Amino acid sequence: MTVALQPGEAIQGAPEEETSRGASWPRYLALKGGGAAVSLVMVVVVGFFAFRVLPGDPAISMTRGRQVSADQVEILRKQFGLDQPLIVQFWNYLVGLLHGDLGTSYTYNRPVVDLIGTYIGPTLLLTGTAALVSIVLGLSLGQRAAWRRGTAFDRTQTSVALIFWSVPTFWLGLLLLLVFGGWLHWFPTGGMSTPGLGATGLAYVWDVVRHLVLPVTAMVAVVYAQYLLVMRASLLEEMSADYLTTARAKGLREDDVRRKHAVPNALLPTITLIFLTIGGLIGGAVTVETVFSWPGLGYLTFQALTSPDLPLLQGTFVVFSSIVIITNLAADLVYRVIDPRLKAS
Amino acid sequence: MFDTQSSSTARRRPLGRLALSLTVSAAVAAAPLAFAPAAFAAEDGDGGNYLRIATSADIDTLNPFTAVLGSSTGILTLAYERLVEWGAADNAPVPGAASEWKTSDDGLTWDFTFPEGRKWSDGEPLTANDAEWTLNAIQTDPDLQQASGGLVANMKSIEATSDTNLRIVLKEPQPQNPGNSMMVLPEHIWKDIKDPAEYRNAEDSVGSGPFTIAKWDEGQSVELKANPNFWRGAPKIDGIRFVYYKNADAQVQALKSGEVDIVSGLLPAQYESLKGVEGITVNAGAGRRYTSVAINPGAKDATGAPLGDGNPALQDPTLRRAIFMAIDNKTLLEKVLQGLGTLGQTEVPPVYPNYFGIDEDKVIPFDIDGANALLDEAGYVMGPDGIRLDKQGAPLNLRLMGRSSNPQHAQISEYMVSWLKEIGIGLNVAMYSDNQVNDDSTLGKYDLYFTGWGIGPDPDFQLSINRCSSYPNADGSGNLSENNWCDPKFDALFDKQHGELDPAKRADYVKQAFATIYDASVNNVIWYADSLEAYRSDRFTGFVTQPADGGVISGQNGYWGYYSTTPVADTSQLADAGAPTGLYIGIGAAVVVLGGLAVFLIARRRAATSDDRA
Repeated sequence: MTVALQPGEAIQGAPEEETSRGASWPRYLALKGGGAAVSLVMVVVVGFFAFRVLPGDPAISMTRGRQVSADQVEILRKQFGLDQPLIVQFWNYLVGLLHGDLGTSYTYNRPVVDLIGTYIGPTLLLTGTAALVSIVLGLSLGQRAAWRRGTAFDRTQTSVALIFWSVPTFWLGLLLLLVFGGWLHWFPTGGMSTPGLGATGLAYVWDVVRHLVLPVTAMVAVVYAQYLLVMRASLLEEMSADYLTTARAKGLREDDVRRKHAVPNALLPTITLIFLTIGGLIGGAVTVETVFSWPGLGYLTFQALTSPDLPLLQGTFVVFSSIVIITNLAADLVYRVIDPRLKAS
Repeated sequence: MFDTQSSSTARRRPLGRLALSLTVSAAVAAAPLAFAPAAFAAEDGDGGNYLRIATSADIDTLNPFTAVLGSSTGILTLAYERLVEWGAADNAPVPGAASEWKTSDDGLTWDFTFPEGRKWSDGEPLTANDAEWTLNAIQTDPDLQQASGGLVANMKSIEATSDTNLRIVLKEPQPQNPGNSMMVLPEHIWKDIKDPAEYRNAEDSVGSGPFTIAKWDEGQSVELKANPNFWRGAPKIDGIRFVYYKNADAQVQALKSGEVDIVSGLLPAQYESLKGVEGITVNAGAGRRYTSVAINPGAKDATGAPLGDGNPALQDPTLRRAIFMAIDNKTLLEKVLQGLGTLGQTEVPPVYPNYFGIDEDKVIPFDIDGANALLDEAGYVMGPDGIRLDKQGAPLNLRLMGRSSNPQHAQISEYMVSWLKEIGIGLNVAMYSDNQVNDDSTLGKYDLYFTGWGIGPDPDFQLSINRCSSYPNADGSGNLSENNWCDPKFDALFDKQHGELDPAKRADYVKQAFATIYDASVNNVIWYADSLEAYRSDRFTGFVTQPADGGVISGQNGYWGYYSTTPVADTSQLADAGAPTGLYIGIGAAVVVLGGLAVFLIARRRAATSDDRA
């Protein structure tokens, strides 16, 4: 509950602050952009040092259980650059980063940038689809629930959403897999496409869509509640507003009072929530990707933790964090564009 | 109200309606998605007989020089002949790329014969020159040592004296055949690769094993196709597809639904659930891994200084022995592993019968009373709260460390806590991440902990990490000590077996050496878990296991299991293991009709209300 309401609450104060300040566009941009840049720098620094605290020597972990001499472990350590002082490693990391080089993965022995490039596509496809479906579903159910507050529809929708929300994604995913994959055989049990099918064009798209259904369902079921609840809450706040009485007095149909007058105003906090959660959704794909063997970035991160594959961990951390920071910045900007009160000031 | 107060226009589609129609269209669209339940069973793009293997572990690279993860080396074993293979029947050395081998009397010079007629998958001849090139490449380039560096460390010179003869001169005699596990790569392909360490070898590779790598679809699957030039004869299937599954439950479901043909690494409960399923056969093959509880006997670093924080009382072998006497391995095997394994003895599992086992009179029995008597006699007096006191008068409260990733550790711990309580020893159990356990065990920061190793066919390496010289540096770098323990008597036995070229005599020394570890009560092997696997016997049959009697299909020291399989006569028509297709068609038709009706009604409603919109 708190998670869903926090962003909404945070926004409540925001418009007033900005209005009173009456910041001009360039100043606003500089302010928000600067904040984002500072966050990015922090991420870069934290990303390096945080993972050094992890237990496990990567060179020893990677050779564990194999026939290797101490000399070979040393060679490996040298290849990884682990024999250098931490500050030198940090400097190399910074210099690399400025050149768009996130280092070379220990495990996969290839540039982290390449690896992320390979795996980010499926993650964006999965989380993008899930985000879209849950936003549409959450918002439409949320406004209907608010409009008919206290009715059976409201109570059912809210409780169903909350029940799904409290279900662990992992468990729900496995359940879907068991029922629709293993038992009914309606959908594939894993992966993004059928290996060896050799499908191209539309047939390939069809194959991918079939593979998308279960993971998207699992993700949507767990996250759509927050959109529903915030939409419902912010619409409820609007519902006693005078302009709705005016609208009704004009003789407008109830449905249109809701759609054309109340919802646009109530949508503001929700839009910020959408941007805020998109970053989290991508990070949260780890579980779903693991259950449904989705070849995405989340699972790559999980793998990297086991070594620990430091360059890969740093790389995925920087990417995930950047997505969150950028979507937050986008939320700030979009908010200002769509809120006419801010524009006027 | 319904049709008099409308102001909406048909052009502006409100969110709610959009959502509704989206939902309806999604339902309509999903209906046909749900069809073709049996389609993925046998639908191969090229219509061939492909064995589809579920694989849970990730693949780092398919470059034989640098691949270290087990799943990658397992695939490479199928694609490249080693100089000498591990036999299917009993893991004894058998011909690979080389057909025979001779050792000089001093054990230093090894000659390998490459018979005429060995070919690469592209038809080029496979000769001693390929082997020379491969081994020299590993020895001279540190970047290429990641996978097999340890295998060439003892080689002084590597030379192809002719197309058919490879001579390896060793620095010192070694009992393990230097050709074992040593992959040979085609020189005519690899010599032109600019940076062989970076090469991923992901597509249409040239190899010498029963299969060659056709395509690696990263994060999803690896496809191998049969090698028609394989010297033992082409496989009877068209190829293999390794399909990634990132969790074991999904693998089980995929086997049931016919999306894969073989799964391995099953948990006992998963194994039981697949028993008796139509079209599926289960196999509990003898495993190569031991599971044990190790006791910190007083870890030291390479300089001989104490390392870590192990309880000093455990340096007394009598106390360690009493602890192991209080652990009932038989109960653990039956209750925790549901009997799917073999009772533990020394670190060598029974799949290697030459080195397995210990004399019956040396076995430490489960005997709580005996353990109590032993402790009483050794002077560990019982404290007032039922916990014995050590020689310094401190209560014997010990720590037991396990891995949170392994649920069996927690289960075993519960039994151990109550058993040890009966002999007056307190046990505090804590589970940590794999890396934490690895770090702490290397640094001697434990009293007791759960461990286990997969044992290779040659015991030399496993023994070597128990020598006094294997103590690590104070920071955990340098050598690796399996048990943080050292005994000159053991070192003498190690040297004896290491220099012994007569297999029977060597086996005897090896057994004695492992018995010394056992006797020191530093590592109590609880069990050797069976390797649990299941396959679609309605599609494939004839798997050769390793060892022949009660062995495994997957994860062999060789290619025998997958190489030997034959398709069942009628594999293209796999019986649909699910509900009748008619049911799906019925459900699908209903969804389509309802969906269509909904769309129609929505359209009608919109048409009706849009007339009098302002």
